[in-house]
Amino acid sequence: MKRSALLLKGSSLAHELGITALSILLAFGISAFIIWAAGFSVSAVFINLWKGAFGGKLALGSTLTKSTPIILTSLSFLFAFRAGLFNIGAEGQLYIGAIVAAVVGAYLNLPVGLHVFVCLLAAGLAGAFWGWIPGYLRAKRGVNEFVSTMMLSYVAIGFTDYLVAPRGPLHDAKYWANQTARIASTAALPRIMRPTQVSVALIIAVFFAFVVWYYLFRTPAGYELRSVGLSPPAAEYGGIRIERKLILALSIAGLLAGLAGAGEVLGTHFRFIGRFSPGYGWDGIAGGLIARAHPIGAIFAALLMGALRAGGMQVQRSGAAPGDIAAVIQGLVIFFIIAPTLIRVLIRWRKR
Amino acid sequence: MSPLGDILTIQLVLATLRLATPIALIALGETFSERAGIINVGVEGTAVLGALVTALVSYFTGSPWIALIAAMVAGGLAGALHAVWCIRFQANHVVSGIGINILVAGLALFITSSVWGWRGTSASAPMISTWYITTAAFLIIFASQVFMFRTKWGLRLRVVGEKPEAADTAGIDVHRTRYIYTILNGVLCGLAGAFFFNSVGRFTSGMVGGRGFIGIAAMVIGNYSPIGGLGAALLFGFIDALQMRLQSYIPSQFSIMLPYLITVIALAFFIRKANVPAALGKHYVKQ
Repeated sequence: MKRSALLLKGSSLAHELGITALSILLAFGISAFIIWAAGFSVSAVFINLWKGAFGGKLALGSTLTKSTPIILTSLSFLFAFRAGLFNIGAEGQLYIGAIVAAVVGAYLNLPVGLHVFVCLLAAGLAGAFWGWIPGYLRAKRGVNEFVSTMMLSYVAIGFTDYLVAPRGPLHDAKYWANQTARIASTAALPRIMRPTQVSVALIIAVFFAFVVWYYLFRTPAGYELRSVGLSPPAAEYGGIRIERKLILALSIAGLLAGLAGAGEVLGTHFRFIGRFSPGYGWDGIAGGLIARAHPIGAIFAALLMGALRAGGMQVQRSGAAPGDIAAVIQGLVIFFIIAPTLIRVLIRWRKR
Repeated sequence: MSPLGDILTIQLVLATLRLATPIALIALGETFSERAGIINVGVEGTAVLGALVTALVSYFTGSPWIALIAAMVAGGLAGALHAVWCIRFQANHVVSGIGINILVAGLALFITSSVWGWRGTSASAPMISTWYITTAAFLIIFASQVFMFRTKWGLRLRVVGEKPEAADTAGIDVHRTRYIYTILNGVLCGLAGAFFFNSVGRFTSGMVGGRGFIGIAAMVIGNYSPIGGLGAALLFGFIDALQMRLQSYIPSQFSIMLPYLITVIALAFFIRKANVPAALGKHYVKQ
């Protein structure tokens, strides 16, 4: 199957950005119609959406906090996508990374600096393991990774929730809620924009966007990975061992999502809470697609996702409309972005 | 009474048939569209849409039968949308399906909040017995088996997914065939969605809970045939029925993840690649 359909062939960066911008505009236009049809005030919704996402330091902090894990899950999706694979399981990999970060953070005694690093490393490796399973099954047994990553997400969410439930081994006996004990202060990622929850995790996420970009576009190994995604037969003919690339791609995808979970535990909540993610893993699919599978684009796509989440909460609080209108906008943006020829067809219609 | 005797009862058999129904319907729908060459992973979202529309129509008209039809129409429309995106706009099939899933997930939350004021949950509404849908599903599946392998229309369908150029040369309209069966897939997923609503009489956003994807797994394990898909769906229905029974013996978080774990294991062991349509997922451009 040609994955390149998403990445417009032979088109310039300006052209791609233009189409992306038009898709987003179109999505907002149709959302305005839906809001109007549902009997809400369009202007009130959009004003609150903006206020909640960018109106002041608190709003911006909320947007950045929510964007942080989405940057990493977007990278997770696009990394596998570049190798021709669909990692739909970032949500589960995120949970596995988060629980491991919480355990290492709470039960290990290590000096400042080293402790955080060990937490991140352990979480990344745990996420990588959760990605390795579907990678191995795909490479060795031909199991469709789309279904297996999805199924393993449900397994991870259920399993971690069991661990921290009242009868589970990692439950914090001091509280009734499904959560672990608080991590040690040596394991916490510093906050960088008080009083908001923005932490060093944001810097880590952006850093990894550049690492992934460098790997994919500036190293021979990254070139090989992308050639597997573009044309497996040609890659095999060129001497690339496809099976190893498939396993690697999903393992790294898992690692990136695992780090997203670690960032949430070490920088935002300071403990693992059962079912804490509002869907950051699923947002990564959207982010990766909106970025057209470009690592630097993923930063901005994640910012859009985070802004929609933060803005949606303000829409809800203001009573202008249900905050979930943000999720509808997100869905529409994707729908217009994924049809490479749609915008061209629309432009042609206007010229006629 | 021993726990084993408590679990293995006639109720378990009935629960298996019941819980296999939506998975079997989705597997059948996916078999049709993939045999024509169109992958649709949006079946999950299409089933959610079917359940949501059933709740809306049943709530406002008071007629669960009209709601059933409406669910199939809505599913068909979702299938048509996917077909237009894949055929007319040449979107990647999997990506378009993901788009449907995300869009429906957002719409479901927005609509339930707007209409009933509860996020992701509807009020209860009139329902029908799910046994109507289960019976219909079995009849449809057996008829489909005959249709697909014993009629000329079935042959045409399979040629379109296998060798679209040859089909074209033989005078079969490739695009039209693909539209028809992708829409049919949507209709069957809409029916599966109606099943989910009618099993409890209200809509909740998590009620499909990955069973669309399990339906795809059932199709793969059933090797792209309606009967095979039914067999795999019965296996998953049994696991689902079993996990509900086991909830009193092991922590519920464990039993809840059982069907998903079994799906991965089943895929790893039962996989056969013999019948994957050759032109699956490829865009056909008429020469």
